Amino acid sequence: MSKLFAFFKRFQVFLLFVALQFFALYIYFTFMSFPKTQILTSANDITGKVLVVKNDVTKLFNLSNTNLKLQKENIRLRDKNPISFIQIDKKSVKIDDTLFHQQYEYIPAIVINSTYDKRNNYFTLNVGSLQGIKRNLGVFSDEGVVGVVHYVSKHFSIVKSVLTADINIDVMIEKTDAFGLLKWDGTHARYGKIAGISNDIRIKKWRKVVTRGGSGIFPRGISVGKISSISSIEGQPLWDVSVLFSQDYRKIQNVYVVKNLLKTEQEKIEALIPEDKVE
Amino acid sequence: MIQFIKHLLRFIFFALAQALVFNQLEIDFGIQFMIYPLFILLLPHDLNIFLSFIVSFVFGLTIDSISNTFGLHASSALLIAFARPYIFKIFETRDAYDPGSELSLQNMEFRWILSVHGLLLLIHHFWFFLLEIFKFNELLFVFQKTILSLPFSFIICILIQTIFLRKTKLK
Repeated sequence: MSKLFAFFKRFQVFLLFVALQFFALYIYFTFMSFPKTQILTSANDITGKVLVVKNDVTKLFNLSNTNLKLQKENIRLRDKNPISFIQIDKKSVKIDDTLFHQQYEYIPAIVINSTYDKRNNYFTLNVGSLQGIKRNLGVFSDEGVVGVVHYVSKHFSIVKSVLTADINIDVMIEKTDAFGLLKWDGTHARYGKIAGISNDIRIKKWRKVVTRGGSGIFPRGISVGKISSISSIEGQPLWDVSVLFSQDYRKIQNVYVVKNLLKTEQEKIEALIPEDKVE
Repeated sequence: MIQFIKHLLRFIFFALAQALVFNQLEIDFGIQFMIYPLFILLLPHDLNIFLSFIVSFVFGLTIDSISNTFGLHASSALLIAFARPYIFKIFETRDAYDPGSELSLQNMEFRWILSVHGLLLLIHHFWFFLLEIFKFNELLFVFQKTILSLPFSFIICILIQTIFLRKTKLK
């Protein structure tokens, strides 16, 4: 027994180092897959407030640019407003539409902290559970998809952005309708990859890539980017497709969180699919 | 007591500067500026090693909590705190370090700073990028990030020392 104590006494410095190091690495690797505590993220109250102050200073630099973008979006929406249409057939009667139910709800938010240079980039938004944000809601901007909500506190939320290693948003190529999973290899903030497109499908450069809406996180047809290069993977019947993102994640400000009102219904019916039996 | 307040203020300054300013500066080629190791390097050299572990661990977690890296900075900061006494011993000057004097640019020779700070920053950067990327087939990218970031971090550490620190008076 005394030898054991002597051992601990001799290596106490190293043991403390190993213990703390183990703790740090443990939270690092578990947080990436599922966050448990709030205190260590930027969603806690103190750091959240610090970031709000920081954003109050830095947002002014992008103000004119942001205004222009919002103006463009306004014009696009105004085009669809009934005021800007002329009624051609005066005899028709307007009936309250029961064919269309609202499926998606949008919550505006501002990105108060973001990076693009790291291997896994998380964005902090200034909305939280009080505004109705939940885990696994989609986030997009007026130019393209941004990511999926990863962790929520009362006033803030953390978004796992497209620029993380295992984002896996399901996307499709317009017109061809070939679909695959969106990936990021961690090198350049403007380029991503689509995995799982079979090489007997013909695809063309500069085709638009949009979300497929399969998992019920995003509505169908939100812009992701354009195909920038296609090459074949050796030894696999797949295309290696690179995508140029339509949203520049290096200067992102205003985003929308999208809430699918029918998601539970979709999940419920998809749970009825029988699992493959392993024999 | 004055020492304690001085280091507390430095703690806040370095944490905020790293998380709010230097983590936002992002150039291409994977270059990142890291100034916060300087706080740990400037801790008193005769500080109790357990205390220095705890201080650097909490310091790393503070930066982590602002920049959403979940323990990455804490792990790297802890590694410097662990390596610091050994490196100090290897590069010990002819006469031992004066107790109470600060091992900064003002009190030491530039060659000592270059080798000790350079080596510890190298260890820190390599460990940080290795953990961040965590793929052996991209080891080359880890080296690239380490080698390219190192001079930038070192130059900024030197600048901070020349601007903010004064020579400590010896009694």
